[in-house]
Amino acid sequence: MSELAIKVENLYKHFGKGDSFVDVIQDASFSINKGELVALVAPSGAGKTTLLLMIGCVENPSSGAIWLGDEKVYEDKWLTRETRKIRREKIGFIFQSHYLIPFLNIIDNLTLLPQANGVSDKAAKAKARELLKYFEISDKEKAMPSQLSGGQNQRVAIARALANNPQIILADEPTAALDAQRSVDVVKMLKKIAREQDVAVVMVTHDDRMLPYCDRVMKIDNKTIIFE
Amino acid sequence: MINLAKEDIRHTLGKFIVTAMGVGMLLGIVLIMMGVYRGMMADAETLLNDLNVDLWIVQEDTLGPFAESSRVHEDLKYSLKSMQSVDKSEAVTFQNMQLPFENKKISVMAIGFDVYGDISPVNPARLIDGRGLKTDHYEIVATDKIGFKLQDKVTLGRNVYTVVGLTHDSVSSSGDPLVYISLKDAQELQFSYSNKEILNDRARGIINKDAHMANAIIATTKAGYAVEGVAEEIRKWQHKSVYTREQQKVVLTKNVVEKASKQIGMFTAILIAVATIIIALIIYTMTLEKMKEISIMKLMGLPNGMIVKMIVEETLLLGVLAFVFGNIFSHLIDDKFPKRIVLEISDAWILFGIVVIASILASFIGVKKVINADPTAAIGG
Repeated sequence: MSELAIKVENLYKHFGKGDSFVDVIQDASFSINKGELVALVAPSGAGKTTLLLMIGCVENPSSGAIWLGDEKVYEDKWLTRETRKIRREKIGFIFQSHYLIPFLNIIDNLTLLPQANGVSDKAAKAKARELLKYFEISDKEKAMPSQLSGGQNQRVAIARALANNPQIILADEPTAALDAQRSVDVVKMLKKIAREQDVAVVMVTHDDRMLPYCDRVMKIDNKTIIFE
Repeated sequence: MINLAKEDIRHTLGKFIVTAMGVGMLLGIVLIMMGVYRGMMADAETLLNDLNVDLWIVQEDTLGPFAESSRVHEDLKYSLKSMQSVDKSEAVTFQNMQLPFENKKISVMAIGFDVYGDISPVNPARLIDGRGLKTDHYEIVATDKIGFKLQDKVTLGRNVYTVVGLTHDSVSSSGDPLVYISLKDAQELQFSYSNKEILNDRARGIINKDAHMANAIIATTKAGYAVEGVAEEIRKWQHKSVYTREQQKVVLTKNVVEKASKQIGMFTAILIAVATIIIALIIYTMTLEKMKEISIMKLMGLPNGMIVKMIVEETLLLGVLAFVFGNIFSHLIDDKFPKRIVLEISDAWILFGIVVIASILASFIGVKKVINADPTAAIGG
């Protein structure tokens, strides 16, 4: 079993044609291992989210190749029609805001995706309770998102990203809405998750104060990827 | 498996129920409209069923008193009675009049019949108080809807009548309450003029010969005789138009209430279309309110089927709940209408089918929105 979680080779992304042609990513090649927390930094509009969405099988690359774990999912085209299934089974998403489903209670928010993957209600709930315990919010499983604080909801959102046992977590500025101390707590938590759950975490951030807590920092510089 | 529709509805239960009640009131009005139509048809047939005769003999080349003016001689009933195939025959009159009641005039239809004859239009099953007519003069049986009580006095023409009986649900084909008077009184009211007018007519050489006229002769046939054959014989020898019970029913339903029923049918169709559009708009708005969550669900990898199922189930439940509220609403208000409303279970089932189909159609707009939802909309705050 390889330790490789993400591998990208010669990835290009451009938008438009003719006069409106815009190059966003050029010849990006990198790999990220399981257990790693990698920060993705770049100025606004440089293509961080686009790169995140390409890795997440949401945005179509223009060319190149992407592997998620052992599976090659893209080579100049998606190698499966079920990109949504790949996301459901291999990737966990964390957003700027918690974006929990407001009409589902906490445990249902956590079991929704596993159940869509065919996991039984009992098994999904057992995993969800394990995660809620891990994040020290076991007493909130019947609560609605509106009844929780911002910090608690963000912890639930992270737990949700882990509920389907993903190989990769893609976090789009997960600390943007938090104060400095909570931001540090969240990043430390992501690092702990990466280690203990053996997942690769790619975290888009604008906050340089978070970088020391990450294993590697990936920058988009002049459309190319460089590691610091 | 989590049922997203159930959870979403539970989350906004009050709003969902109020919305369903609103649509339900609209569907209730659709049911009422259907009930108005059924009521008209029932009203049209009430008198026909109460009389329960085989033949209606009316003025030649007319459709009879329910559709146009018809006059026949009262003594025609004797000619008919002499026919071997005829069992009973009686003269009847039908007259629209304004009945005075508590300082106002109530539009009624007065039926005149021979109190001592073989056929009575007063259906004993409808008589809820008092008795039928027993004498030739100045007694009246009225339907309870007018508001009369037994022994009330009513002035008609030059005479004062006493209410001797009250019936329930007795209405004419146009929905007006029915009153029953003796044939002699009816002939006097319909065909006799005031003394001054009679004098005036005599001076002009006109002698009133109409006092023994009727609007129709009704008859029953003896067992073993084909009704249509008897009708044909009367047409041939008596120079009258003759309608069987079924033909008279057609006259009443097609010629008399057809336009009104078409009008109601149009209103009903428009209301159903409006209800469909409203359900579609509500579902569209409900879907729009959830677009962020839908984008997140799509981004996380939830299959379209699960999200579409939520929209369709919510739409169907809204439709079904609205249908239930509509039924309750229509049954609460049906007796408040001045004319008869007949709410039939078969109509409710038809509406239920329409509501289900309309709800599915209405959900398409929300489903289209889900399918086109951009999962990247969840990214970037």
